[in-house]
Amino acid sequence: MIPAPSPSTASDKIVSVRDLKFTYEGGIQALKGINLDIRRGEYLAVVGGNGSGKTTLAKNINGLLRPTSGTIMVNGRSASDLTVAQLARIVGYAFQNPDHQLFCSSVVDEVRFGPQNMGFTQEDISRKVERAIEAMDLKGQRDQPPLSLTLGERRRVSIASVIAMTPEVFILDEPTTGLDAWETDDLMASIDRLNQEGRTVILITHDMNLVAKHAKRVLVMSEGRIVLDSDPGGAFSDLELLLQSKLVPPPVVQLAHRLSGLGVSRETLSPGELVSRLMLGGGEAK
Amino acid sequence: MTGFIDLYTEADTFLHRMDPRVKIVAVLLVSILGLVLSSLYSLLVLLAVIFVLLFLARATFSRTVFALKFVIRFMVLIILLWPIFDPSGTPVLASLGPVKITEPAIWRGVTSAARVGCLATVWYILMFTTSQRDLVRALVKLGLRFDFGLALAISLRFLPTLSATIDSIKDAQRARGLELDKGGLLRRARNYVAVLVPTIVSALRAADLLSLALQSRAYGAKADRTYLCDLKMRRVDGVALAVVVALLIIPVFAKFVLQVHI
Repeated sequence: MIPAPSPSTASDKIVSVRDLKFTYEGGIQALKGINLDIRRGEYLAVVGGNGSGKTTLAKNINGLLRPTSGTIMVNGRSASDLTVAQLARIVGYAFQNPDHQLFCSSVVDEVRFGPQNMGFTQEDISRKVERAIEAMDLKGQRDQPPLSLTLGERRRVSIASVIAMTPEVFILDEPTTGLDAWETDDLMASIDRLNQEGRTVILITHDMNLVAKHAKRVLVMSEGRIVLDSDPGGAFSDLELLLQSKLVPPPVVQLAHRLSGLGVSRETLSPGELVSRLMLGGGEAK
Repeated sequence: MTGFIDLYTEADTFLHRMDPRVKIVAVLLVSILGLVLSSLYSLLVLLAVIFVLLFLARATFSRTVFALKFVIRFMVLIILLWPIFDPSGTPVLASLGPVKITEPAIWRGVTSAARVGCLATVWYILMFTTSQRDLVRALVKLGLRFDFGLALAISLRFLPTLSATIDSIKDAQRARGLELDKGGLLRRARNYVAVLVPTIVSALRAADLLSLALQSRAYGAKADRTYLCDLKMRRVDGVALAVVVALLIIPVFAKFVLQVHI
């Protein structure tokens, strides 16, 4: 069991990655030297084209993959000293495909599975489960079989089952793929709340709209390297780099770039911002 | 995992180009030959020929070793166990209570091991040089119903996919704190439910989708179907078949008609 970090010894950095390299068995080098510090409570988006190494990085952080070389510190301890089950108490990972984990006959059982593995007490488990079900808006579905739910609901169940383990860091792998705009908004609102409660959120995604709307820090990955690490505005100001990394910024960002001759900031992220910047005479609005 | 399921390695050798039907029949005939031969020397010659063919099929060393690992273990086991359970013959080399180790029994063990080696490795020639697609096509041409052939092809095709899904499911459950290899037998079996249920569900979903995809491409619209790549026997294939048949007939004739120990 991992001792809970006491406030005095708990470092500000929850995840710290140094010179991480990872090569798959077949010889494909997926990570070519990653250096990264994530502070407690950050809202981080990891973006990049398919095969850029996003998921490989995430799986190294929660121990499903072990580094070929380099070190990963999680909550002040070396990840290599911890089993996947021990790491899961600190780093929760919601997989892209919820159907790869659902197997119980009711939502509530499904959500219980993780905390039960962690060995919490019964009351503790019940409390965590109820909180997770509430956080993911699943009260109405609590006794239904998870596999009969819609994709959006199944994804909520899979995320709730991670929340119930009360990790400090949440890694969400493409949580909105296949969801409609409403489902996406609802889900992202719940994820935003997690972050507001002080949890660290790492969002792996292709969807640049999500990044613009929700993340506070963006890592752009390309061919196994972090090519950019900045706030969303900064990340979108370098169109060339984004395109090289197989990413297309949201239309409003592209429009702001076209209008930069009029003095509109290249760091504009939302339609509202664009309008106010235009109305207030562009560049001065900051 | 894929290496285990599909041994086929792409190359352009006469064995790769050979009609898969001829290869299947030839391998069957050589297997029968392995059963007919009873002297150690002729079995060793046959084994040597099979290894030359494996070499000609450009089976890479690492894959051959991988494939042979199981066979060799089995052969070693036969060589070790045979003399212990076969007390017949003289001279007796050693004895311990009821167990007698005799010299002829040791040779019989080695001979059986060589025979098992022949029977197993000859099939590797087929597996190394024939793609699964060709294999199924040949079976259908040899009289297997097309539906069965297709089902076989699909199962072979989906094995690697299924194994990737299982890996992903295992990862997903490990990330929820499941420790698959912990606890006693019962506990472990229970742990595997968390992997088994999602596996079965996703396999059923995949099967459902696949059947829709097949139907939307008019599968089963006509009982008779045509083939884009039809198998054709070339003269070389005929010659190869004739050589293998001769290889079988000569020893059979020698053994059963001329009563030669071969």
